[in-house]
Amino acid sequence: MKKISVDHLARVEGSGGISVTIDGKVVTDVKFSIFEGPRLVERLTLGKTPEEDVNIVPRICAICSISHKYAAIRAMENALSVKVPSKVVQFRELMHLGEMIESHSLHLYYLALPDYVGFPNAIAMASEYELEVKIALEMKGFGNHIMKTASGRYIHGENPVIGGFGKFPSKEELIWIKNRAIQFMPFVLKTTELFCELDYPDSPEDDTIYACCNPGQKKYGFAGDEIILSTGEIIEKEDYKNLTNEFVVSHSYAKRSRYKGEPYSVGALARVNNLGERLKGKAGGMFKKYFNNRWKKNPLFNNAAQALEILYAFERIPKIIDKMIKLPDPPIVKYTKKEGKGTGIVEAPRGLLIHSYEVSDGFVSFTDIVTPTAQNAEDIERYCCIAAQKLLNSGEEDKIRDRMELVVRAFDPCISCSAHMAEVKKAPEEDWKTKLDKIMKEGSPIFIGVGNRNRSDDGAGIELALELRKHGMKDILLESEINEREAPWKNRNYRPLIFLDAVDFREKPGKVTLVPIHYIFSNSALSHRLLPFISDEMNYERLKNSFVLGVQPKSITEGKKISRPVRQALIRVLELIVN
Amino acid sequence: MEKDKNGKLKIGVYELTGCAGDALLILDCEKELVSIFKAANIQSFLMAKSDNIDGELDIALVEGSVSTEREKEELLDIRKRAKVVVAIGTCACFGGIQAAFLDKKEWEKNFKKVYGDIKMEHTKPVQSKPINVYIKVDHYLPGCPIGKEQFLSTFNRIIRGNPPELYGFSVCVECKWNENDCLLNKDIPCLGPVTRAGCGSICINHNLPCVGCWGPVEDANLTSEFKLLREKGFDYDFIKKKMATFSGTGMADFLGKLEGEKK
Repeated sequence: MKKISVDHLARVEGSGGISVTIDGKVVTDVKFSIFEGPRLVERLTLGKTPEEDVNIVPRICAICSISHKYAAIRAMENALSVKVPSKVVQFRELMHLGEMIESHSLHLYYLALPDYVGFPNAIAMASEYELEVKIALEMKGFGNHIMKTASGRYIHGENPVIGGFGKFPSKEELIWIKNRAIQFMPFVLKTTELFCELDYPDSPEDDTIYACCNPGQKKYGFAGDEIILSTGEIIEKEDYKNLTNEFVVSHSYAKRSRYKGEPYSVGALARVNNLGERLKGKAGGMFKKYFNNRWKKNPLFNNAAQALEILYAFERIPKIIDKMIKLPDPPIVKYTKKEGKGTGIVEAPRGLLIHSYEVSDGFVSFTDIVTPTAQNAEDIERYCCIAAQKLLNSGEEDKIRDRMELVVRAFDPCISCSAHMAEVKKAPEEDWKTKLDKIMKEGSPIFIGVGNRNRSDDGAGIELALELRKHGMKDILLESEINEREAPWKNRNYRPLIFLDAVDFREKPGKVTLVPIHYIFSNSALSHRLLPFISDEMNYERLKNSFVLGVQPKSITEGKKISRPVRQALIRVLELIVN
Repeated sequence: MEKDKNGKLKIGVYELTGCAGDALLILDCEKELVSIFKAANIQSFLMAKSDNIDGELDIALVEGSVSTEREKEELLDIRKRAKVVVAIGTCACFGGIQAAFLDKKEWEKNFKKVYGDIKMEHTKPVQSKPINVYIKVDHYLPGCPIGKEQFLSTFNRIIRGNPPELYGFSVCVECKWNENDCLLNKDIPCLGPVTRAGCGSICINHNLPCVGCWGPVEDANLTSEFKLLREKGFDYDFIKKKMATFSGTGMADFLGKLEGEKK
């Protein structure tokens, strides 16, 4: 059993890890684990006043603290029917742009870029790229400055409240911010070009669904009242559960989300994919210049998307400030309502953030918070699996660990939201026996023999199925007997399906491997001719419960008999199943 | 303290359960960050670098509270390796917001509500506690998050082997320096009188009441604050919850006594 491991995932925020298990030439399991302890923040807010809730919830995460505050305020104002004047709306957008600039520059220059130029950290990188690192730090510092101006301090400032702000900045302060934003433009353009032109490896490429806030018609932006999907579907914010469908897994204290049973992605890449066409000005020009099909399926382009958003933010700031300085400072809007339900959605730098509350008799009686990293966790695992399998196929096993870290880091996970470690495990030689035993104990499986009996070892699956029948086993099917309309995978009772087949794992002949079926689909090099159409017909629940019991063939020459090592392997499998 | 071959102290920054705000604040010291890395050998700092070494340390800065068995073991290991341990941030010092369930039963009930009956594979959850429950802590640097000036001055002092010099008074003192009007006089429930100074009375400067995020100041007159808020007509439970929000176990004794008196 082999295990490649990075015990603590570095240069991400919080404590989490990724582990991959390899059986021979096949990736059999990927787990993105979050070790950050449980904090029960949602429960802590119960019985508090709406104002106290707004103090507590940003502490979920320091990096997204403004987004948490913003989402909570939006939700509470929704619940308590508070309408805020235009200047408050403008100032909130400005503070949010500050956080985008701060978080994106921190991620791009400190956390992500060192991998692409070959340094362990940004400080070491500074030895070669001193000027870039310094200006990048200043850009991040500018984001911090905006956050401090708006919220009172760098992290967890309390100035934004339900109904407005405790204090507004002076006209001079606003004009200073506007001028500084204009001064940064040449470096911002360089940043966008740098990250759009980086050489992103193609190993983790696959389609997914992207979800983000819809900021209103034809607008780009980071807050809205509905969720827009890359499929074109629109979900009202109150119906967010139709998107998120949260559930708990045993290897993480962060909850998980799937849309219609499928993993989906949120973040800068989701926003650029769904709304990028709406970008105007220099950001619009850069989008047209760089956006291509690879952005639609490669999570590493999240870095490019973040750079594009920094540009968007810098173009937006002077416009907001021009509006703000014309307006008087409004007092905090008072409210009298003591009851109500409300949901607030905003885009945190790393994706869609949802806060939903119920207030009864002036106190919080229900809280639900869905964070971006919790929504991305399933796709992080899926893309790591795809990348690991591709590298394994091309014989670059030594690159798996670093590539997985690259993928995880590109999602810019904010592990504090819930959630250190890349780990590659090798399954033991006889692992298939334990797994098969487990599947058979959990539910009675249907076996499906697949292959061609005229081509020596390729007939192994069929041969095994027929032998199982001879031994009086029920629920044994042959590939040729399957009627597309009544195929066993269409059955909703979700009994486990085990496909028996000769699969070329590039191992020694006769080696038996048992893997979940989607590990075969995720890689065309391994997919043999295993009923390709079923991948489209199976939903995630079905896929999770379907396996391939593969035997490594020696030869698949036409007209020959099954080879000796394969025959011996079949006997071993037969004995185990029958007994 | 011994120095490495380059004459620098070996320092590690560690994050337990929390929002990573204190580690982030260290990264937010943009101009001083390069100097920090030059002044000391930052051997381990997960948020900032990937070539981390878990060896002997002169100083360990620990953020966050302990909320899993794994974190407890990690903390015990850090204590074994480090000559000096500094708790940074309200979570490490007092337990933070996640230690607001003072009663174990109440915590267990809430854990079940969130995660159901699922058995966690990698590590067992434990009720969130500040780090001094498990190890000896040499210095405390509170704040939610810690303040930049106080962090830099403390860092400067401890790498020279001196203890930190923190304010031993409440937010009210800083608030008077800033010439703010007292919000309690306006019947706004402010926790300034019982909260440790160091933030620069930032909330009150913005016309907003102190939420108590730096934890309780030593020798705080908690009874007096409690009585004052009661006189202003605030409800018993409201005050209790407000005082417990950020102070974690720092208020446990006081609130426990209150509970006794009520009965």
